[in-house]
Amino acid sequence: MAVSKKILLVDDNPLVLEMMGRALTKEGFNCLKANSANEAMAILEQERPDIILSDYHMPDVDGFAFRQNLIAVPAYKDIPFMFLTSEDDNELMLKGINLEAVDYILKDTPLPIVVTKLNNFLSTVREQHERTLKELSVAAMALNLHSVPQKLPLIKGFEADFWHKSFQNYPGGDFIDFISIDARYTFIVLGDVMGKKWGAWYFSFGFLSYIRAAVRICIAEGNFSTKSILQKINAVVYHDPVVNDVLSSLSLVMVDTQEVSITYSGAGDLPLLYYNALNEELKQIGSSGMLLGLLPDGDFDEQTIALNTGDRLFIFTDGIIDFEDTDGKKTDYNTFTRAITPYLNQPFAAFKKSDFLQDKIVAHIDDCSLIHLQKTIQ
Amino acid sequence: MILVTNIYKDALIAAIQVKEANLTVSDGFKDEMTALIDKGNKYIVVNFEGVIYVDSSFLGALVSSLKYAIANQAEIVVAGLNKDVSGLFQLIRLDKAFKIYLSATEAAERKS
Repeated sequence: MAVSKKILLVDDNPLVLEMMGRALTKEGFNCLKANSANEAMAILEQERPDIILSDYHMPDVDGFAFRQNLIAVPAYKDIPFMFLTSEDDNELMLKGINLEAVDYILKDTPLPIVVTKLNNFLSTVREQHERTLKELSVAAMALNLHSVPQKLPLIKGFEADFWHKSFQNYPGGDFIDFISIDARYTFIVLGDVMGKKWGAWYFSFGFLSYIRAAVRICIAEGNFSTKSILQKINAVVYHDPVVNDVLSSLSLVMVDTQEVSITYSGAGDLPLLYYNALNEELKQIGSSGMLLGLLPDGDFDEQTIALNTGDRLFIFTDGIIDFEDTDGKKTDYNTFTRAITPYLNQPFAAFKKSDFLQDKIVAHIDDCSLIHLQKTIQ
Repeated sequence: MILVTNIYKDALIAAIQVKEANLTVSDGFKDEMTALIDKGNKYIVVNFEGVIYVDSSFLGALVSSLKYAIANQAEIVVAGLNKDVSGLFQLIRLDKAFKIYLSATEAAERKS
């Protein structure tokens, strides 16, 4: 991966700012320039640089006060910070280092050396980051923590498969599960913990555990209502201090191989897309339920659909309908409907290779998950 | 600062200052909303005018703020949603959790 090099230069001297800016731009840096600490703070509200290089001596707010202001803001505290100074004063440097500045650069340092220093520093940060990421992934694997299934379920008369891509290859907030109860019943679970990367990933296990438990408890009690299962999960999540500040969507589908039907309840999830093979019709199946944990009563409903040979069901999270065009990022449910239509007479494996899904991998907008269920010949 | 606030009648209008309301601003947004609720504001209009995209992290922060508001007897409503964002609110039933107004002024005046 190419090292991202966005730098925020802060100096009250326009000449220094211009010279540094030009030199660093030539070396592949994306330079943001601020004439004062206040201007720098305004830039930081819009953009996050990889590193900040700031002068010591500036009128109004000097470099030290600027650094102190940054440390006070959790979102800015961890942006690597270097002082740029014309003074070779040990006391000043010590003061700077005590303010958690990573280094200082003298203004008369030859530019190639400044560039090398910055490049080396950014590479080290990146390597450290990748190493930490790898260690976390290894730990998660060792604990056997998977938020997506490792194998596909066998459901008599049906074919179930899924496609999943995490945001920028971090484990994310989407979770998928197939819970096989017996030869007759299988539950399909698709959830999306609101958030991205590790923060959401940790919570996905909390949610998954509640969902698995609620499904098993209801079934053991002879309760096969997906609505009632969602009500139970919602009640627990709403009151649980660990997850009640985190919200998650959930699509819960129970496949009944004996009745050859599915029963569906949703919580703040996207409508499912149902393909009726006989009529060659695509139809959205919406539910009334709100996000898990939002309100004590999630207003859940449930609906049962009898499936015939060739019928298909698509269950997906919002990453599937997010896209980016020249005007920026957008969300549009119909993009999926349009993309799947030409593939309705082909196996799901063909759609997995489609440009639509392959583009999702490149675009990296959000976690993307798609589950496909098809009624096959017995 | 992700929000710029101003008082209109008895409402506090909090206007989102970014075009893409995503993961990078969601924590900051949540903190600012929490502070506004802690200050005792009871009717907060979150103005989405100018926002072209909202991701699930940001929606999570918005909904989490709503839970905090309810616990503090405060109300959060939203205004100025563009077509895409409004569609997303409806798709995932957030229109049942939030009152949605066409503009911040209408929200402050509680025009239905």
